[in-house]
Amino acid sequence: MINVSNLHKSFGKLEVLKGIDEVIEKNEVVCVIGPSGSGKSTFLRCLNLLEEPTSGDILIDGVKINDPSQDINEIRKKMGMVFQSFNLFPHKTTLENITLAPIKVNRISQAEAEKIGRDLLERVGLSDKADVYPRALSGGQKQRVAIARALAMQPEIMLFDEPTSALDPEMVGEVLEVMRELAHQGMTMVIVTHEMGFAREVADRVLFMDGGYIVEQGTPAEIFDNPQNERTQSFLSKVL
Amino acid sequence: MDNLIVVLQKILTTGIFATLKVTVVALFFGVLIGLIACLGRMSKHFIPKAVATAYIEIIRGTPTLVQALFFYFGVNALLVSATGGDLRMTPLFAGMFVCSINSGAYVAEIFRAGIQSVDPGQMEAARSLGMPNKMAMKEIILPQAVRTILPSLGNEFIVLVKETSILSVIGVSEITRIGQIQASINYKTFSAYLGVAIVYFALTFTLSRLVNLLERRMAVSD
Repeated sequence: MINVSNLHKSFGKLEVLKGIDEVIEKNEVVCVIGPSGSGKSTFLRCLNLLEEPTSGDILIDGVKINDPSQDINEIRKKMGMVFQSFNLFPHKTTLENITLAPIKVNRISQAEAEKIGRDLLERVGLSDKADVYPRALSGGQKQRVAIARALAMQPEIMLFDEPTSALDPEMVGEVLEVMRELAHQGMTMVIVTHEMGFAREVADRVLFMDGGYIVEQGTPAEIFDNPQNERTQSFLSKVL
Repeated sequence: MDNLIVVLQKILTTGIFATLKVTVVALFFGVLIGLIACLGRMSKHFIPKAVATAYIEIIRGTPTLVQALFFYFGVNALLVSATGGDLRMTPLFAGMFVCSINSGAYVAEIFRAGIQSVDPGQMEAARSLGMPNKMAMKEIILPQAVRTILPSLGNEFIVLVKETSILSVIGVSEITRIGQIQASINYKTFSAYLGVAIVYFALTFTLSRLVNLLERRMAVSD
């Protein structure tokens, strides 16, 4: 479904991604782990072109998306994204946050969008928060709304950029629970995370990134129980 | 004291209208020009960006007084010699023109600061949902930027009222000019310019109260 080949990304003189090759299949849940500055988030952000690759190809269903002839907005409709800092729209209610893009971008009716929105709020356990503004929500609630907002576009792929890193510890569980359910429903997911327990439990495959490369990858058991690369071993010994 | 009342009467029946006329016109066109210049400045394309940046820098880098002299005397002289006297700016027109382009440069920067004060994550979130840039601007960025922009715009309005006093040098019969004329009639300069100051203060103080009120309303809805 996602086919990345020889992906490079530089910010000025700093080369953050130094050649990434990766294939992610439909329904696969892939967790990306690694130290800060290893390029995990940049890799993820390249997948929906929030960062424009310096070189290399990104193919989604066989279509090269980092090509000027492609309509970037059409591509992004298929890919939901969840950010570390939630990025809910503060001037919109919870429900409006969710319904805005379906109404404006997909041009569905307000009534239909609201039905989808309320269903999604129920799915993330926040039915009673439809009409409040984001500032009245806890971090965990905000992130669950952000997931619902992304799902409202009925994406085929969900990208998560450290979705629990900005949360108080007691709120991490509620967000992971929503993501776990999504994974069980067969959503294709790419998750940059520091939650090793979650990665081990939910991921079909774990990628370990360091210094702009995917250094090692495998099933959670392979990566966590029997890492082959020295850098993987060193990283895991520090975080586990 | 008697002369102060005479001066105030004179200003309130004549000069204040010219001042307010110039201010309102300049505010309107200042916002319009400012919006265009701001879009130009934030554009990815070289030409609009260069034109807007040059405009903003030149206007902000030269005194309003000099701009007024340049347009009313300098450009007018050129206009008159080119058209044989058929086309000539009146002081009031030149004054409105100068204040509009002057205000536009400052308003452009106020708009830019407001837009850039919005967390970049907001634009990313909007774009990640498939919104085109313009839609994201309209639906997500601008409504949030307005919170920063409105109070600054109120202050710009106040500055504009005071700046119009410069137009006295090109003969616009606004508040300051009326004060000067009154002072030259009987040489009672103290009361004449005191009267001028009082009227400006009354105007700007009223405006700043209104701006404060607006700011508090915005804070409540936040």
